[in-house]
Amino acid sequence: MKILQVYRSEPNDDVKTLVGILNRDRDADEFKLYGENPDYDQLVEKIFDADKTVCWW
Amino acid sequence: MESLKVYILIANRTYNDGIRSALGLAVENHYGYPVIMNGEFPKLSEYMAENIAWIADMEGEVLSCGAEAPTDLPEDVEMTNIDLEALGERMRDADFIIPYGLPKQTNEPPPACAE
Amino acid sequence: MAADPNKLGIFVTSPQNMTHVVGIAEAADKAGKKPMIFFTYKSIHLTKDPRFKDLADLCGEDNLAICADSYTCEGYDSVKDIPAGLTEKQMRTQAFHGALLDECGKYIVL
Repeated sequence: MKILQVYRSEPNDDVKTLVGILNRDRDADEFKLYGENPDYDQLVEKIFDADKTVCWW
Repeated sequence: MESLKVYILIANRTYNDGIRSALGLAVENHYGYPVIMNGEFPKLSEYMAENIAWIADMEGEVLSCGAEAPTDLPEDVEMTNIDLEALGERMRDADFIIPYGLPKQTNEPPPACAE
Repeated sequence: MAADPNKLGIFVTSPQNMTHVVGIAEAADKAGKKPMIFFTYKSIHLTKDPRFKDLADLCGEDNLAICADSYTCEGYDSVKDIPAGLTEKQMRTQAFHGALLDECGKYIVL
């Protein structure tokens, strides 16, 4: 399963722990929305490439 | 229609709407699992107590992660304590994971909105 | 009904992400995908953002709605003050979110 983790802000320890468990034994990718000028085209491509997306606070 | 397992993670102290949203999915025949992750439990209104009881009736469950749920909950209102690792393991099986609303606040709410 | 693999559900619960909502919806549209958006909770304040009407036009009447109860809870008048770009039909309940989960092959929360 391909899982995409998207972050709207720097992930805290709780989020990192949960992501570690969710990503285990899976094909995991990530995208940071909190940088300057996020590439939305690339994000959409990643979302459609993944089976599941989780977008954290 | 397939029944989906949906976890609604509520980090901010204003947790009521995440529970309402889970109930909204439960009545659409999905499994709603709101998770209160902030350890803060503002006064439970009668409306919210009914929502929590209803989620359980619909085979969902309200979870408290990172802090013990209050023990003086009204009759028929149940919250299940769960630690972070166990929550992660459960959510591996989720169809959808929804980090809901705003992140946790670092400052204390003023009396105007504390309850 | 099986989920449409070319449809992207966007569930908006935070009032802080309008730039992301617009950016992702427009990128999806450009990529030939169809965005379907539900605004609830504090995010309904985004209906007052000047970009909201264009976003509503991009999605179309069947694919964008807001939670009428949230709108009312936040102090707005859900009868006399329907947001720009919306019709009465788009003032919906949480059931729209259920439909979005069923209909969309892909999904993101903002």
